[in-house]
Amino acid sequence: MKVSLNWLRDYIDIPADLDPRSLGGQFTMTTAEIESIEEVRADSEGLVAAKILSVEKVAENLTAVKLKLKDRTVETVSAAKNLWPGQIVVYAPPGAKLAGQAIVETAVAGRASCGMIAPSEALAMGEVKGEAVFLPPRTAAGSAIDGALLRDWIIDIDNKSITHRPDCWGHYGIARELAAMLELPLKKYPVTPLKKLQDESLPEIPIEIDDPVLCRRYSGLVMTGLKAQPAPLWMQVRLARVGMRPINLIVDLTNYIMADLGQPMHAFDGDKVERIEVSVTKPAERFRTLDAVERVLPGGALMILSHRKAVAVAGIMGGADTEVTETTEKLLLESANFDPASIRKTATALGHRTEASTRFEKSLDPEFTVLAIQRFHYLAGKELPKMRLASRVSDCYPTKLPPITVEVDLDYASRFMGQPVTFEQAKKILERIEFKVAKGKNRLMVVKVPSFRSTKDISIQADILEELARFIGYGNIQPELPRVTVRALEPDRMHQLLSRSLAMMCEGRGYCEVHSYIWYDSEWLKTIEYEPGRTLELRNAAAAGQERLRREMAPNMLAFVDRNRHFFGDIRLCEIGSVFEPGQSGQDDAQYRHMMLARAERTDEGSLLKAVKADVETWVQQVTGRGISYQQVPADKVLPWESPLQTVQVMVEERVVGRITVVPVECRLRIDQHLRRLGIVMAELRLNSIVDLEPPITKLGQIPTFPEVELDFSVLTPAERHYVSLADQIRQFGHPLLRRVWFVDSYEGASVPVGMRSITLRARLGDAQRTLADEDLTTFRQAFVQHLESAGLKLR
Amino acid sequence: MSSGMEEMASQIDDLQKKAESDAQSAGSLEALQAVQAAFIGRGGALNEILRGIGKMPAEQRGQVGQMANQAKKTLEERFALRRKELEAAAGQAEQSKVAQYDPTIPARREAVGSLHPVTIVQRQIEEVFSRLGFIVVTGPEMESEYYNFEALNIPPMHPARDMQDTFWLGNGKLLRTHTSPVQVRAMEKYGAPLRVIAPGRCFRYETIDASHENTFFQLEGLLIDRNISIANLIAVMKLLLTEVFQREVEVRLRPGFFPFVEPGFELDMRCEICGGAGCPTCKHSGWVEVLPCGMVHPNVLKYGGIDTDVYTGFAFGLGLTRLAMMKYGVRDIRVLNSGDLRGIIAAEKLTGPTIVNGSRP
Ligand SMILES: [Zn+2]
Repeated sequence: MKVSLNWLRDYIDIPADLDPRSLGGQFTMTTAEIESIEEVRADSEGLVAAKILSVEKVAENLTAVKLKLKDRTVETVSAAKNLWPGQIVVYAPPGAKLAGQAIVETAVAGRASCGMIAPSEALAMGEVKGEAVFLPPRTAAGSAIDGALLRDWIIDIDNKSITHRPDCWGHYGIARELAAMLELPLKKYPVTPLKKLQDESLPEIPIEIDDPVLCRRYSGLVMTGLKAQPAPLWMQVRLARVGMRPINLIVDLTNYIMADLGQPMHAFDGDKVERIEVSVTKPAERFRTLDAVERVLPGGALMILSHRKAVAVAGIMGGADTEVTETTEKLLLESANFDPASIRKTATALGHRTEASTRFEKSLDPEFTVLAIQRFHYLAGKELPKMRLASRVSDCYPTKLPPITVEVDLDYASRFMGQPVTFEQAKKILERIEFKVAKGKNRLMVVKVPSFRSTKDISIQADILEELARFIGYGNIQPELPRVTVRALEPDRMHQLLSRSLAMMCEGRGYCEVHSYIWYDSEWLKTIEYEPGRTLELRNAAAAGQERLRREMAPNMLAFVDRNRHFFGDIRLCEIGSVFEPGQSGQDDAQYRHMMLARAERTDEGSLLKAVKADVETWVQQVTGRGISYQQVPADKVLPWESPLQTVQVMVEERVVGRITVVPVECRLRIDQHLRRLGIVMAELRLNSIVDLEPPITKLGQIPTFPEVELDFSVLTPAERHYVSLADQIRQFGHPLLRRVWFVDSYEGASVPVGMRSITLRARLGDAQRTLADEDLTTFRQAFVQHLESAGLKLR
Repeated sequence: MSSGMEEMASQIDDLQKKAESDAQSAGSLEALQAVQAAFIGRGGALNEILRGIGKMPAEQRGQVGQMANQAKKTLEERFALRRKELEAAAGQAEQSKVAQYDPTIPARREAVGSLHPVTIVQRQIEEVFSRLGFIVVTGPEMESEYYNFEALNIPPMHPARDMQDTFWLGNGKLLRTHTSPVQVRAMEKYGAPLRVIAPGRCFRYETIDASHENTFFQLEGLLIDRNISIANLIAVMKLLLTEVFQREVEVRLRPGFFPFVEPGFELDMRCEICGGAGCPTCKHSGWVEVLPCGMVHPNVLKYGGIDTDVYTGFAFGLGLTRLAMMKYGVRDIRVLNSGDLRGIIAAEKLTGPTIVNGSRP
């Protein structure tokens, strides 16, 4: 929200020598963050008011304008639009300076042009540019434009940091904060006394509120004798600089008060709206708002009706049919208080947030409605001497918020702050921001919260402590390390597993950690010809095609392999991330953490597959203390990036932990022709499946007294026979000298007959009582070979 | 001399000649050893001849024996001579081997691997907090509205719940917009007193550009105990930043609004670039916003089942992604989720040390 320093000076005498930047800095430290603070300086001089006598078109987009000054008339050629005789404009005569340029007599389009109708830039009117500036009709022709209007400072307060401070959405509230901060008095808010607006001889506006929760208060006033005319220049300039375009006096007044007090208002044409009903819509009602847009209203939107006909979307925007126009002479002024959630909901549903709705959704103080009307009357009266009241202030106030009183324990406050807080100190601070403070029992302090802080901002002791702390100054609190209770909390096993797994893969086994998005990319799925089936979906995706949350990490990882293959010969990627599965038949949707590994190299897939298996086996062994077994995934169950032959399920005990696969050439070619010779092996592992598997404690063996002997046996087995069945056979073997048998290696190649595989096993033998003799080895060898042969395995 | 003897003498003579020539042509000590064994070793040719002596007349035996011994002696000398020659040659070869050996040559490069920059920063902070007795916990990325908003004192239709910031799922859940939901989850699980941090991924419905991501990492911290004060919060945050930046840091607190803390603060650090004088990085304020923090709102403690009469606490959030960008000079945030190793891994980890450092883009 933009704030004008000149505007603030209406309410507080900020010392002239105080640098506005340092003022902004202090505000940041006590109240809210300031995004920027910038000086506004219109480098203009000698501007005057001039009355238009006649307008004559001289060329496309150019008019010759006769202007009356104090005691002479001049003619100037202007490009300004919407000029009519009788209007009063800001004019720069020859010799004046306009936005840094000296004005001289000249000729435009072949006509002598004396001076220039000043565009809005001449007055540094913010975003409003290139337009003539019109003055109220009573302005004397030739009168000088006040030079004080040419300079200001505009402070931009971060909206997010005042979300909780409805009182800070207007200049008067900001001035209150500054006054407290600088310890200066805050001036009284200038308004017409309420009594003057309560003339009992005038009628009351009938106001009916259907839902007192959604509309806490509705106040109104009818005035006549209005004229469509420009607002005073100072008001236009201020509005423009804080980001609101000047329109006409009535609209500008409502905007001005919104930026001044924070209370939005709406002006209805008083001839079209003379009674008020506040009610909610049925779904899909249509309504044309004053920006001439036909809008479909969401059901339950709060509306302002008159004779049960909609005239405004409450708190958001008025209707096109009842807005004030050039000819309006009578107006019904609305100043109301609506439920913030309801306004927010409707504004969100309409996709249309206005300055008004932004304020209403912050929970405005209902006490402000009548005050805003008094302020309107005060400001309008100065501009419109013929304005008369046509009603008394009418006020329907069904939901008065109870006043809030908070008890503050000063001992608690001192502990909370980390330094002593005294009653006197607290009282002094709180009274500066209009809280009322009294001593309570013991060390209690009773604080009455002003209404403008009572709507949601302040309700509990901690809220008061914040007020105290920020005015004491956080910089004045001495840091002190806490005294804490020693407690051994149960560790988060998932975090431990994540952390160890990454360390193993990325620091121990040469993988590079990457991060990918948790959604699929539909284009990529098409490329790899994958349809994931049921997925969880985002209602508002980051981009079209990114709606579906991934069920597995492999597709994104495959994209990463493709991205990196141009630059690296040996790619090892690892990622730990989330995947999401829709619940089966009424069960909750689930999320899991996966570890995804990918290795790609221009090498034979067999050795790459062995390497990835080794990575996975080592990992499982380290984190669970267990071995794994593999189960082939049937060819009809493989996914598009999985080879029908070389895809295995990784099992730890009876649990499925994940899959390891060779990416088949068909899949690689779908991605790119260049991937033909790039071997890619991937493993996707579900951490949740093993997170509870603590490594069992294995007692360590004694170092044998008599030497043990290891014997290697290479057996030939038909290549189609699986290791698991072979291992099962060998498991049957027993011998008194046998300590262990384990797998060493497998080999297929030149020295092994085609269609066969050589498997090397190692046996360790020993005896606790003696050293083994040659014949021990011989008899063992015979027994073992016999067992192998009975299982159909020939020694190589 | 009898013909038998002559024959014997000529045999010995031939043998000697052959042995001498073989010794000369032996190119190495091993070969020479073999030649020596073949001729004068125990089973050598000379012994073979001597074994034949027994069949000879006795008067001839002595003469032949003498001849054989003479031959053996001569050969031994020849072999010794040749050994010396070969040894000298071997010494030279050894010397040239020493000269060719380069102790400074690097090993062949193995894949080194690397953690993601965000993970490295995360680890460092976890390590700092572990030393302070905080445990590290995780939380779900798909989160309920309750934990992400309601239990954090952000009721429905609260302006802080802006629809455009949250990724909503068809099932009514959402992708957590911050790591703060873990605060309440940790309170529920552990109760008070409590010291935890929760690093993790967060998601915001935002347009992506060089400095905005919809997927990023945060680290949440929470300390709850008896009599925890604002003074404690400031001290712990100062300690944290001192550890992270490895030097004494100057910090300041100013008001910041977050519904789950009261009071809420923004913690600023003296700008590193300008040292406080003011520069574009710090928007000429001399301070850089580092982390939001605050005293845990009593409502949040209540949602977490903590007795607010006994306990108070503070919470803070660290932008891990932003910290990693600062630390590693990542200019475009999108690189971090791109999987492009050129942008997320130091080149040296992939190639080994740099020999010439040219200009880096
Ligand atoms: Zn700086």
